[in-house]
Amino acid sequence: MKILVCMKQVPQKDAPLKLNESGTWIREDVSYEVNEPDAYALEEALRQREKHKGEVVVITSGPARAQQVLREALAKGADRAIHLEDEKFVGLDAFNTAKAIAAAIKDEPFDLIFTGLQSDDYGYAQTGVILAELLGWPHATIIMQIEKTDAGIRVKRELEAGYFQFVDMPLPAVLTIQSGINKLRYATLIGIKQAKNKPLRKVTLAEVGGAIGNNLQKIERLYVPQKTKKTEYIEGPAGEVAKKLVDKLRNELRVL
Amino acid sequence: MLIFRKPIENIERPQMPADVVIVGGGPAGMACALRLAQLIDAHKAAHPDSELSKENVYVLEKAREIGQHCLSGALLDPRSMRELLPGFEKQAPLDADVTKEAVYFLTEKSKFKIPTPPFLRDHGNYVISLNRFVKWLGSKVEEAGITVFTGFAGCELLYDGDRVSGVQTDDKGVDKEGQQKSNFEPGYDLKAKVVILAEGPRGSLTKQLTEKFDLAKNANPQTYGVGVKELWEVPPGRIAKGEVIYTMGWPLTTKEYGGAWIYGSSNNVVSLGFVTGLDYPDPRLDPQHVLQDFKRHPFVEKLLEGGKMIRYGAKSMPYGGWWALPALAGNGWMMIGDTAGFLNAARLKGIHLAIKSGMLAAETAFDALLKNDWSAATLDAFQKKVESSWVKEELWKVRNLHQGFEHGLFAGIFHTGLQMITGGRGLRNRYSAVAGYERMRKLAELPADGGAEKNLLGRAKGDGKLTFDKLTDLYHSGTKHEEDQPAHLVIHDTNICNVRCVKEFGSPCQNFCPANVYEMVDDSSQPNGKRISLNPSNCVHCKTCDIQDPYQIITWVPPEGGGGPNYDGM
Repeated sequence: MKILVCMKQVPQKDAPLKLNESGTWIREDVSYEVNEPDAYALEEALRQREKHKGEVVVITSGPARAQQVLREALAKGADRAIHLEDEKFVGLDAFNTAKAIAAAIKDEPFDLIFTGLQSDDYGYAQTGVILAELLGWPHATIIMQIEKTDAGIRVKRELEAGYFQFVDMPLPAVLTIQSGINKLRYATLIGIKQAKNKPLRKVTLAEVGGAIGNNLQKIERLYVPQKTKKTEYIEGPAGEVAKKLVDKLRNELRVL
Repeated sequence: MLIFRKPIENIERPQMPADVVIVGGGPAGMACALRLAQLIDAHKAAHPDSELSKENVYVLEKAREIGQHCLSGALLDPRSMRELLPGFEKQAPLDADVTKEAVYFLTEKSKFKIPTPPFLRDHGNYVISLNRFVKWLGSKVEEAGITVFTGFAGCELLYDGDRVSGVQTDDKGVDKEGQQKSNFEPGYDLKAKVVILAEGPRGSLTKQLTEKFDLAKNANPQTYGVGVKELWEVPPGRIAKGEVIYTMGWPLTTKEYGGAWIYGSSNNVVSLGFVTGLDYPDPRLDPQHVLQDFKRHPFVEKLLEGGKMIRYGAKSMPYGGWWALPALAGNGWMMIGDTAGFLNAARLKGIHLAIKSGMLAAETAFDALLKNDWSAATLDAFQKKVESSWVKEELWKVRNLHQGFEHGLFAGIFHTGLQMITGGRGLRNRYSAVAGYERMRKLAELPADGGAEKNLLGRAKGDGKLTFDKLTDLYHSGTKHEEDQPAHLVIHDTNICNVRCVKEFGSPCQNFCPANVYEMVDDSSQPNGKRISLNPSNCVHCKTCDIQDPYQIITWVPPEGGGGPNYDGM
């Protein structure tokens, strides 16, 4: 099986975030990490390769610093990497990101494409689904398990309230992977050292730029929510407190 | 039952050969790696058929990313950086030139400006974030072709007779009970020709090595302080960019050593912190509390009012100076930076010395590479290089400084003055010292209400705006660890905690730890109704517990690599 894993570099979960001057995104002086569900997607791809042979290729779109997620993936065992490297790839919406990825891999016959369920920063959960649409492939989301069958694959999807759905799908297909599907492995010293010599193809904006149009979604304004909750203490004898409380609920909050 | 971290026994470990392994990717380790790369490159340029290679030079760094565990004030004296990378100012992340400096003596409500002593004149230095600076220096090391293994701690030294022959890295994927998880990954045996320890203050491998070979037998015991730091964003106009303020006095009394720094950085960011000497007498004293009290001084309150605390952290620092340096090299090893004790306690600066010591060790390692001789006979040259460099010149002048304060502030000021006019000598060439923990007094010998120190004792409550309780502060350290792993704060005898310490000292671990790792919980089966409990995930890797515990039964060992604080911008 030849598997492509789409990975994204996102601000670290506990990083102290500050808004940029225009109030449309955060200031960049934070630490970054691999988007969590993408790490699980990579692990799943490595496990599938261990079972069924084949190749694992990782791809990311982002500035030079994003190469770190590819290095980590190569250190954990991915065979090669593709980096859509240009500042212009930063801040693309899901539609354009999917188009850029589709253009970058147009000559490569993958059996499966994995993405994380969604990114920890934008949280669109759209890139994988749109990519499937652009490629004309079937897709399934929130994947908890993948098994190869004679006809293709059988996947387990997480639904709400503890329910799961099992779906048989043909290949090729796009799957968006849920965190916790497996247990992540650690990079090893030898893996990190070998990663230095693994192929990493850089794709410039010029190579895929034709596929990208104007963003269809954009962030108008980002702001820190203001605390509006207020706590009011009603004091006095129990009877009076109850009376005042009923009055407030009925006449101020109108919930009774 | 507490289970403590130790290497898994009786397993086969992967091996990896190395020429040079540098343990710790701070300013010392990174400068060492970069200098070594430069020397190898220059040699190969002159001798194209040389077999020297940078391929097997490695840096181990326990943080998930370069620089994440680096915390300092910080002011950078550029002397060594100019030697390492001439013109570095053009590319390094420097926040401000020092433009203004002042030293104050504080009482509870007032401040008195005192003449800035020569060693605190900081013009020509830079305000930096050590985190960002080391990140940048690390990128230079990687560009030079040296592999930095981030997320890997050195947790054991390997020996071959009396020779250090390598480092074992941390086991990954070990659960709370010490059992292997399904993703267990054994630590490597990195077999090295030379191991250069650059672990920062109170390094865990340095501690093993120093004990094994009695390396400190001719040195004064090392003495330490713990710096508790907060980064603030304040309204414009409060402090000039590049303004440097030091204070002495309040909230400490004359019995404790320490003081505060306030540095104006760029973008209205203020770095402030309080260093408390880890030789205070009252076990109830809490260094995080000291910083909170300091902020309540009208002078500081006015500076911070309306601002926002954005980051918190703590780190110990070695004060002992020249006389506390242990042996610096031996068969197969050298030690550099804070782990050896290269810090000028008068100037409150160690980064430039860490860098210089790293460079000198690199030069020594390079000579050893050429000779292919890694014995003490060759590596001892490092000691001589240090002694004939400006490192000694600088440290010699302040060799007795901290010892002069061992009998309190007033004696300290007397000795400092005398030392300044006698080239560092003072009353005698070498002042002795005692380890700070030995100065801790038992509760029975102290006033029940704390006496003059009573405002410093116990937990800070915090108002949530200007002052913070420990957990609120801790949240801003960004510290994070794999939860399911054994405790990396190894207590050699918990009976001492539960039976003796709780009565004799009142469990000072709860106070001196700036990260709320140690907690005495109710347990009716214990004689005093209390039992030690640990929150290892809170740890910010400051090493204060290892240093300050009065029975010396705590050993800090590295947790699973990748865990620890996130000192972005610190």
